Amino acid sequence: MPHNRLNLKRRYGYLIYILPFMLVYLVFTLWPILYGFYMSLHKWGITGPISFVGLHNYQYLLKDEMFWSSLGHSSLFVFISTPLMVVLALGTALLCNLGTRWKTFFRTGFFLPTVLSVTVVSYLGTYIFNPSIGLVNTLLRYVHVLPQGSNIDWLGNTPTAWLAITLVTLWWTVGTNMLLFLAALQDIPDSLYEAAALDGATPLQRFIYVTLPQLRSIMGVIIMLQIIASYKIFPQIYYMTKGGPNNTTKPIIQYIYEQGFMNDRLGYSVSMSVPLFIILLALALIQLRLRGRSEGGIQ
Amino acid sequence: MDRYTGDTGYTSVSAANCLDVHYRPQTGRQPNPFLQRLVCAPYSLDTLSGILSDTLLLRWLGNSLIVASLHTLLVLTLCSLTAYALSKLNVPGGKWIYLLILAGLLIPLEVIAVSQFQVAKNLHLLNTLTVLIVPGAAAPFTVIVLKTFMDAIPDELIESAEIEGAGKFLIFRKLILPISASSMFALGILAFLQSWNSFLWPFLVITDMNKFTLPVGIPTLLSSFTVDYVTPMAVSMLSSLPAMLLFLIFQKKIVKGVAFTGIKG
Repeated sequence: MPHNRLNLKRRYGYLIYILPFMLVYLVFTLWPILYGFYMSLHKWGITGPISFVGLHNYQYLLKDEMFWSSLGHSSLFVFISTPLMVVLALGTALLCNLGTRWKTFFRTGFFLPTVLSVTVVSYLGTYIFNPSIGLVNTLLRYVHVLPQGSNIDWLGNTPTAWLAITLVTLWWTVGTNMLLFLAALQDIPDSLYEAAALDGATPLQRFIYVTLPQLRSIMGVIIMLQIIASYKIFPQIYYMTKGGPNNTTKPIIQYIYEQGFMNDRLGYSVSMSVPLFIILLALALIQLRLRGRSEGGIQ
Repeated sequence: MDRYTGDTGYTSVSAANCLDVHYRPQTGRQPNPFLQRLVCAPYSLDTLSGILSDTLLLRWLGNSLIVASLHTLLVLTLCSLTAYALSKLNVPGGKWIYLLILAGLLIPLEVIAVSQFQVAKNLHLLNTLTVLIVPGAAAPFTVIVLKTFMDAIPDELIESAEIEGAGKFLIFRKLILPISASSMFALGILAFLQSWNSFLWPFLVITDMNKFTLPVGIPTLLSSFTVDYVTPMAVSMLSSLPAMLLFLIFQKKIVKGVAFTGIKG
């Protein structure tokens, strides 16, 4: 008997290590994915009867203008924020990599906002862009760009609201990308710069011919991560503009939330996550492909 | 909230306030009004103590701390055990399990939040702290980074420990864990910050004010339309302080950790 138990332990002992993780993973990640597809085929409220409706939710989706416009808004945000985010992250990373004694100060300053809660960040955003008492308008009046007594309603107009949302998000999250760039910058061997210096390359030439090519693979990763992160935007907008004016800043996640939990249409809201899921999965796969290729290139 | 305004209005040393109220054309040399106000302002802690006694902020702070700490502990426990098994124990079908976990990395949780909500509801977990701690604990990212790290630990080291008679778990505890400590630490900090700042999930599954975490609770105290700027500022400051302190204390390790995980993951 003891021999058998030992055998059992040897054969299935690994299960103790894997089961707890797999249990949580199955119940809260893999199962909800399948369950979501199942839910999307039903008329499904938070309370009340559930009935099978087949593909009706998806048919409705195709004709739902609000779905398309909110998906468009999220895509618009991706389109504006990604280039800014990447360029600014690279710039700040270069600044931190200069080797001056301000390095720690810069690094802390640029990264610290990322530990703030999104609700605090959004509140500061509404406060800074407030038309009458906000910092931005006050400063503009102070330097006489804006006449005394007049206001710009930053969050009340569509283009400026997008500008404000983008700036706040940029300030809040640029630190993470900066750290990724910084790590890559520090991995570039000094010998490359020394060789370039011997050949008489100016600092600008060194940046273009040494730094940029070395950063190519991490740049690809950051762009993809940023696109995916930007598609998930929701709380900043929810608290800064509530999706207004006139729903022109409403992102897709907010619309999913509203349909599911405020209009009690969980089935329909889940069906909206399917196209979003496909977009994000496609982007993630492209990222994996690109990364695979760049890593293959190094080896 | 009006009771916090009045004399204590100057406790918020915001540039906007000071410029707006105190900028006047100056003739001759006079003390800088901004600095003067900064130094002589009637500072008081009334607002802070008022917030602490009249709101649930401390309770939310406690919830956030409990949730983020337990979540971090659970993430590290589950993920390090799994990473160890996948890396060093010959798990049958281990490659498939690894692929399944890798697939999870590609799925943004925001997209499946609604069906996750329904699952949590079916399990009667809504409005519990458990639902904030457990679901994200199976973190594919953490497993993958840890497995990559453990793969680099030479097998000879483990074999020699086995010859000395150490069991699998003893090897994990006395050998693997100490070696992986630095990456575990970095991943732990990231897990803590992620849980601390998590918004959408607690927003969906918690409706009981006593169970709120800070990101969900704060907006109920903030309003951009009142004339009172002190309360929101104090709330923001109080709620940001723990995470900021955490960051400042562990700054170097976090930077290293993000850099490390960023390249591998």
